[in-house]
Amino acid sequence: MRHGFYRRLAWTGIRQNRKLYIPYLLTCAGMVMMAYIISFLSQSPLLEDMAGGATMESMLTFGSWVMGIFSLVFLFYTHSFLFRRRKKEFGLYNILGMGKRHLARVLIWEAVLAAALSLGAGLLAGIAVSKFAELLMVRILDGNATFTLSVAPGAILHTLAWFGGIFLLILLNSLRQLHFTKPVELLRSEQAGEKPPRANWVLAVLGLALLAGAYWLAVNLEDPVAAMVFFFVAVVMVILGTYLLFMAGSVALCRVLQKNKRYYYQTRHFVSVSSMAYRMKRNGAGLASICILSTMVLVMVSSTVCLYAGLEDTIRAQNPRNISVEAYVVDPAALEGEKPEQVRKLAEQVTAEAGLAPENVLDYRQASFAGIRDGSQMEWYLSSLYTTTSPMDTSEYWQVYLIPLEDYNRITGAEASLAPGEALASTITAPYEEDTVTLNGGNTLRIQGRVEPFVRNELDALEMFPSLYLVVPDFVEQAQALQDTVGDETALNLSWYYGWDLACSDAVQLQVWENLRDASAEAELEASGEEAASYFHLYWDSAAHARQNVYGLYGGLFFLGILLGIVFLFAAVLMIYYKQVSEGYEDQSRFAIMQKVGMTRREIRRSVNSQILTVFFLPLLTAGVHLAFAFPLVYRMLSLFSVANRGLLAAVTGLCYLVFALFYVLVYRGTSQAYYAIVSGKGE
Amino acid sequence: MSILEVNGLKKVYTTRLGGNKVEALKNVNFQVEEGEYVAIMGESGSGKTTLLNILAALDKPTGGTVRLDGQDLSQIREADIAAFRRDHLGFVFQEFNLLDTFSVEDNIYLPLVLAGKRYPEMRKRLEPLASWLGLSELLKKYPYEISGGQKQRAAVARALITEPRLVLADEPTGALDSRATDELLQLFRRINQSGQTILMVTHSVKAASHAGRVLFIKDGEVFHQIYRGQCANEELYQKIADTLTMLTTGGDRR
Repeated sequence: MRHGFYRRLAWTGIRQNRKLYIPYLLTCAGMVMMAYIISFLSQSPLLEDMAGGATMESMLTFGSWVMGIFSLVFLFYTHSFLFRRRKKEFGLYNILGMGKRHLARVLIWEAVLAAALSLGAGLLAGIAVSKFAELLMVRILDGNATFTLSVAPGAILHTLAWFGGIFLLILLNSLRQLHFTKPVELLRSEQAGEKPPRANWVLAVLGLALLAGAYWLAVNLEDPVAAMVFFFVAVVMVILGTYLLFMAGSVALCRVLQKNKRYYYQTRHFVSVSSMAYRMKRNGAGLASICILSTMVLVMVSSTVCLYAGLEDTIRAQNPRNISVEAYVVDPAALEGEKPEQVRKLAEQVTAEAGLAPENVLDYRQASFAGIRDGSQMEWYLSSLYTTTSPMDTSEYWQVYLIPLEDYNRITGAEASLAPGEALASTITAPYEEDTVTLNGGNTLRIQGRVEPFVRNELDALEMFPSLYLVVPDFVEQAQALQDTVGDETALNLSWYYGWDLACSDAVQLQVWENLRDASAEAELEASGEEAASYFHLYWDSAAHARQNVYGLYGGLFFLGILLGIVFLFAAVLMIYYKQVSEGYEDQSRFAIMQKVGMTRREIRRSVNSQILTVFFLPLLTAGVHLAFAFPLVYRMLSLFSVANRGLLAAVTGLCYLVFALFYVLVYRGTSQAYYAIVSGKGE
Repeated sequence: MSILEVNGLKKVYTTRLGGNKVEALKNVNFQVEEGEYVAIMGESGSGKTTLLNILAALDKPTGGTVRLDGQDLSQIREADIAAFRRDHLGFVFQEFNLLDTFSVEDNIYLPLVLAGKRYPEMRKRLEPLASWLGLSELLKKYPYEISGGQKQRAAVARALITEPRLVLADEPTGALDSRATDELLQLFRRINQSGQTILMVTHSVKAASHAGRVLFIKDGEVFHQIYRGQCANEELYQKIADTLTMLTTGGDRR
């Protein structure tokens, strides 16, 4: 036989199955494109000299692994679908006298053609789009970039090697399948009589239980640290539960409906219910995958968008002022000495040198400790306890702050007065309802009144522990007494916060911050001190500096969330399409029979429509339910990243779901055209 | 009175490419009387299937009329056709056409459910029919679990359960082995003897030899017909075979 024969045969095979092949090639190309883009970005020289670039780079490297593994699994799945449909064709060739060796050559040619097409198209598209992706990334990182088209040979090689490997594995798998089946089986593989699905009650109930358990976990885990750990447990439970419910639960439900004779033997339900059991048996796994993918897309995109959108709030929560200095001391009296005044002067002076004036000054002292609450007792939390009690259970941990009354009055403009032993209480995250509070078994403070939160710090922003602020008139004495109850004078966190805003760009703020640090070092304000009484340590902080780091981290997460979201979306769309097409082929003959038996075309269409609708919108609905139950968990996890804006998260999640649903409907509409084309092709 | 009257039936197909006209039925005329068992014979491509599709109101003729119980099929509105088919006609197909998603029982119920009948009534109709056709043990089984002959009996039950005026059978023995074929033909005889009118399209001489009358179609026309009269099956078989030989060789000479 002439050399070009197998190649032509392979090419004809691809062309004749274009309804199945084109989406497959598009997926391959799309995956190649995304893989190239991610690889290209992670190697981008722009990242090296950008703030937050290193974080972004490691995120992208992680992303390219996710991408690689996902494309391996997914392309295998789609190809197995494609191959199943084509077995008949190979069986025919086999019977017409082509040996398996010849068929293998056709398969190899097909694989080569498919790989060449998808790698070529994918890489071209990737190169074309990569620059835009790079611009977007730089934009997200808050930097600048110029538009020059560049090609990264390293990324191309990486992509070629990875996908070449995937295509090779797929080819080997189809050769294996070809080798192990008999020609008659190949011919018949499509119409092998199928057993009616049995309802597997054990699995159905197990699925329900898993899902209920996961939901319960998601709703009832109050503690963010525990939420982080159990998140993965819950995710695995949800995935298993979804698969079981879709595969076994749906069939069981259909069987229950069939038992109800009065419901079942109605024109509207008769055909739908019985075909549904089959449909779900065949498609359960695929639909569950669509559901899981959709949920993943939604959780990922909504949480990363929320992180990114809440970025400025986060920065502000962690840095209440643009520039701040915190002084840490050991002796409470040191906070009232001359050192703080020197720092204030220095700060004003350096700020003035930059031609700026401090605005919105925040100036207060505080003494704080981490306590374990028991009623009105705030027990000192000792590091030795950490090992003996479960670190998971952080629910009774409180962060307790003492604030001088005069500082409180100055910050809020109030004119409160208190007698010694009295306090004003203010809480964040959780309420404190007792009338008194006993500090580590020592002094007991009577709570004279409750006030709104007036300062927040970095720890509050995390909302990991509730905070109790106690405004006291005799700050130094109380702090001293508290320190005495422990015996260890460094256990109490004594500090003075001094921060202010500046009306200027981040670059200038950074400069001022640098100058302040230099000036402070030069003035030798700090005393590391052999003596506890003179210990004075300064920590200068800048929101602009924090912003750079935070943008690197959150921007990276956001960018990756979007990229992977697109990939998973691709995957979900393709799975929907393949489902529709396979449904179409299966319904074709059934459609014809029902028409002959006396169903009108409209009845058939309506029945089929309702089934298809149920089948395809079940994953979307389930994804919605998953998302709703994941919400509290996601919220608590995000609070670890100090985005604790429930409203924002709810809005972003809702919006994501709506956009996704809209997209889903569009895809469904588009693909159902393909479905009807197939069904009516022979049905008429 | 005739149950079925076919007058001057004509069907022309236009091929999709090139627009060539193909005349599947030229001028078909015949009648079927109540209680008759008629077989229509012809070679592949003689227009048998086209004729059956038109009789079943699955296809529209280019010319001529088909009257069932005096009602012209072409006058029935498109929306009512399916209901008409359901109520007046029963179908038996070569490939059985049982839905694999239904148990045998549900397959038989299908036309009744479509007609909106209640379960108790359906059950009442099924019981005698199932025992008559020997299906009582098979009702809960699924099509993939039973033999070809059993499937065809289920399909017959589905055709009869609506108590149709006319049963149309399209090569009912085509997918059966010889034993199952014999059984089915015996069954058709019995059904016919109970008063059911049957019209069967076939190219099996054996199947046709069980009928009361055999029509031969060639090149889109009724070419010849044989009445059983007092003939036994074997004699009729011989007559049919002779006619077919004459048809074929005669056709070649022309």
